[in-house]
Amino acid sequence: MSTVLEVLRPGFLLRDALIASILVGTVCPLIGVYFVLRRMIFLGVALPQLSAAGIAFALLIHRMAIGPHAHGDATDSMLARLGATGFTLGGILVLAALERRGREIVEARIGMVYAVAGALTILFLAADPWGEAQIVNLLKGELLAATERSLAFLALVLGVVILAVMVFQKEFLLVSFDRDLAVVFGKNVTAWDTLLYVLCGVTISFGVLAAGPLVTFGFLLAPPLAARLVTRRMLTFSIASAAIGGLSAFVGFCAAYRYDMPLGPSEVAVSAVVLLVVVGFTRLRRALIPQTA
Amino acid sequence: MCVLRLRDVRLGYGTRAILEHVSLEIARGEFVALLGPNGAGKTTLLRGIVGLIPVMGGTLEYGFDRAESPLGYVPQRESLDPTFPLTVFEVVLMGTYARLTPLHRVGRRQRELASRALDLVGLGPIAEQRFASLSGGQTQRALIARALAAEPSLLLLDEPTAGVDAEATATIMAVLSRLNRDEGLTVLLVTHQLRMLRGLVSAAFWVQDGRVTRRRIDELTASGAVVEAQADR
Repeated sequence: MSTVLEVLRPGFLLRDALIASILVGTVCPLIGVYFVLRRMIFLGVALPQLSAAGIAFALLIHRMAIGPHAHGDATDSMLARLGATGFTLGGILVLAALERRGREIVEARIGMVYAVAGALTILFLAADPWGEAQIVNLLKGELLAATERSLAFLALVLGVVILAVMVFQKEFLLVSFDRDLAVVFGKNVTAWDTLLYVLCGVTISFGVLAAGPLVTFGFLLAPPLAARLVTRRMLTFSIASAAIGGLSAFVGFCAAYRYDMPLGPSEVAVSAVVLLVVVGFTRLRRALIPQTA
Repeated sequence: MCVLRLRDVRLGYGTRAILEHVSLEIARGEFVALLGPNGAGKTTLLRGIVGLIPVMGGTLEYGFDRAESPLGYVPQRESLDPTFPLTVFEVVLMGTYARLTPLHRVGRRQRELASRALDLVGLGPIAEQRFASLSGGQTQRALIARALAAEPSLLLLDEPTAGVDAEATATIMAVLSRLNRDEGLTVLLVTHQLRMLRGLVSAAFWVQDGRVTRRRIDELTASGAVVEAQADR
């Protein structure tokens, strides 16, 4: 309890890191809802890895074209954002376009993207030993190094994502649940799919930059998987996912601070515990109360 | 007055035509069926009519403005994913999205339309139940309600009674018959089940060997075509 009070103090030293954690923990599940419902879970693994490859690539290009990195400068951060966003958006749009041509090998394509992205990340790192330390920090996520400026930028971008998901919720639901009906209704299905994928790509790339691929993937999937078991409406599903994600991030942050553990893995571990508790509770309830429908 | 007119239409997938020289007319208020053996192209024709596959040749005209009056489309229920956490009411509400622009939010009118549509198919009491928990017959009625919530001029159904028991089939056909008779709704349904159509539909289009011909139900019943279609069930 004293840890919680300390963390919530206005002058708390790691306040920006805490807010960044909660932001990523809240927004990733809002997007993850569509990953789960559209059965694109593997994409949630591959895209953060692709984002990491984008960061490594951008910094390699910087070294080759401009010169050695000046650690911690704004150019590196900007390049990392460009690389992460470019690779993630490119990957998700190409995979989405290929998905329509044949669903049977979607998993194979996504698996290959994951393998290639992982290999490329290591190759780019090997080719840029001067920037390696900087890149490793970026890939691990910079939650603890969050500054007021980087936090404001993250909040702005993720705020736009939240707004778009809320405003266009009915369109995203329609194209996800019944694509044919959306076509019959004359909706521009390709445009709505693309917008949803862009929001996914932006969230993942900024999530990876802020918290690393592991945390991003964990928050994309664990909270929606837990929320799906206890909700029966789309709106409450989205809200519960975001709430579980935000709460897991907060509890994970407190635990990491209290016991001096790595931040990202602590947050993912808490979200996994929440998922396990919800699964257990649901199974127990089903066993005790027979389903009537 | 025609609500749908096809003239020398060619339909298929990619460059391969499944149906050629399709010409048909459906008048306002008619209740017609698309019949034929498995793989004859009934669903292809329906998908072409609703715009899910492009028309490769000929002309397809509606007797109404599709922007003003959307099509009421009922897909095969297996095409919908039960993973989605949706209540019956939420699914039916989707029918109202046809007339809503992206920035237009669901309001009281849309909720009233969905409630009325649910009442028309007799599912009002289970509106808050999970959509995935419905029986086959209830799912089809919910999808019919969703189509009705769009306030369509033409209702098109793809095998609405496939895989449901006899009692549920009778309920679905009674709902469709009432909508056609009392609400004046034009209905076109794809089916294999000839027997249930007797006394309900005004005409049928027989789909076979890439061609479509308009026939009377009693004429089909008396012909060998019936035996063939029923054997395919």
